[in-house]
Amino acid sequence: MPKAKLLVIGLGQDLRGDDAVGLEVVKRWQAENPEIAEDPEVVVELAPLPGLSLLSFLECVEAAILVDAVQSGAAPGTLHVLEREDLASFGSDARSAHGWGVGETLALGEDLYREKMPEQVYLLAIEAGSLELGSPMSAAVQEVVAAAARKLQDLAMQLLAPHLMPETQRASV
Amino acid sequence: MPETIHVPAMARVEGEGALYIGVEDGSVKEIRVDIYEPPRFFEGFLRGRFLQDVPDITARICGICPVAYQMSAVRALEAALNVNVTPQVRALRNLFYCGEWIESHVLHIFMLQGPDLTGHESALSLAQVAPELVKTALHMKKIGNQLLRVIGGRSVHPVNACVGGFYSWPDAGELRALVPELEWGLEQARAAVTWAKGLPYPQLEVDYEFVAVHREDEYAILDGNILSSQRGLLDEADFETNYLERHERRSNALHSYTAEGKPYLVGPLARLNLNHEYLGENASLALKEAGIQFPLSNPYKSLVARAIETVEVFERAIHLIRQYAPGGPSASELTLKAGSGAAASEAPRGLLYHRYNLDANGLVEQAKIVPPTAQNLGRMEADLWQLAPQLLAMPHEEATLAAEHLLRAYDPCISCATHFLKLKVYDAKG
Repeated sequence: MPKAKLLVIGLGQDLRGDDAVGLEVVKRWQAENPEIAEDPEVVVELAPLPGLSLLSFLECVEAAILVDAVQSGAAPGTLHVLEREDLASFGSDARSAHGWGVGETLALGEDLYREKMPEQVYLLAIEAGSLELGSPMSAAVQEVVAAAARKLQDLAMQLLAPHLMPETQRASV
Repeated sequence: MPETIHVPAMARVEGEGALYIGVEDGSVKEIRVDIYEPPRFFEGFLRGRFLQDVPDITARICGICPVAYQMSAVRALEAALNVNVTPQVRALRNLFYCGEWIESHVLHIFMLQGPDLTGHESALSLAQVAPELVKTALHMKKIGNQLLRVIGGRSVHPVNACVGGFYSWPDAGELRALVPELEWGLEQARAAVTWAKGLPYPQLEVDYEFVAVHREDEYAILDGNILSSQRGLLDEADFETNYLERHERRSNALHSYTAEGKPYLVGPLARLNLNHEYLGENASLALKEAGIQFPLSNPYKSLVARAIETVEVFERAIHLIRQYAPGGPSASELTLKAGSGAAASEAPRGLLYHRYNLDANGLVEQAKIVPPTAQNLGRMEADLWQLAPQLLAMPHEEATLAAEHLLRAYDPCISCATHFLKLKVYDAKG
């Protein structure tokens, strides 16, 4: 099966305060950029708490952008863009809110299925404040949803650039 | 002998909470297992909701066992409305549940408790030395995931289940296409029993009251009466008079006890002890080949019980897909009325009880959810007390690992909606 060019996946639990932000950013980006989000080469997923199932999503794509809430000690609403090699710092200590951390899951995928994993992986991480069950997203985090969606579009365009280019120019890239 | 055991963070447990072991003058003075409990929040959150919203809301309590929360919920609500479901709906629910058990059991056997028994820090380090084992595990898990996706519309927080049945019948061709994978999984599950049987389990024999859903015609998962090794057979509706929840001041989770105030055990060990006679052909054979003697009462060996149950659900899934013949409406019609209904089903981690009181318009007046991990909290503490003399005789690091391993053997999972589990073992001197 040919791989899709790009996976955009929002992770989070929308009943748990700022943990919803990964989902919200992807939904906003989808609404604002339908021409990209609906491209048949782009897979968009909203996955509350996928844990190790994240590997199944990653297997089918050339590049991936994961959007997730994290807690690393920065101010709530801080945006982090992490590349594959930075993800170790979001491993088991500063984990995302999903039991099996994103860093651990990617590391396992790299160890076991290097050939199946996407070439490029970005984590667009939004620093969470409150993760209280039943509480809405905090103001600090709500305020950055639009900026995070723009950042997501920048990353998507960057990863899709070779694919979006006219056929004749692709060979030179 | 450890004066103080301190572990900053506990890995491979789905949940949020803490373990305290207080050591003073060379003896254990206090043991507390605290796990925070989202179901309490959900009980409040469900009040005033329409009954058909309940399965989709409760599914979000847990990312690992959404089907269990859906199945106990729909069955309790159907009991409140006196609705019967068709045999096809019951069969499909059973199949749906198999997908969840496959995913959850395989995860626990190989990725959560397996590293403890093979001397590995994590599934990552296990994968370094036994990549094929971990790949097989991930492949088996994925088969469960695919089953959930075909039936539930998506694999994480499936959305197809409703009070009365399903919103739509899943495609028979898509289900049948999974049979070769499930047959492969069945073989791997048989091999997993052999592997599990050969692992070095710590010694601990506990005198448990086992409690599980029970049927006379199959190994009960979806429905049945409640069977206790101490008090015999109970109706689902009598659960709450026999098993009571108590608020412990030290914890924000309710702890469950029998009416006599004793802890009891739910989960794979309870199920296998009470229901092993009703396993299917392959699982019975696996049980026989493993030479298991009953009662099986070493908590660490719940991994073996999980492995045998994994054979059971692969086998059952194949059988149910071969029998699958959707026809007629996928859900029974509902007539709203005021009433109360209760139901229990077997989540991968143990008995999950729901009760709902409805008003005449089908709105929830009261919801009660008793998850398996909350029921086992008292048991975990009692087991740790029994283990305490062994812990005190161990070097510091070994004692810490042994205590963690015991809790992990329970596969505690209040909810993946929660995250960090902070383990604190403190010295009573300060």
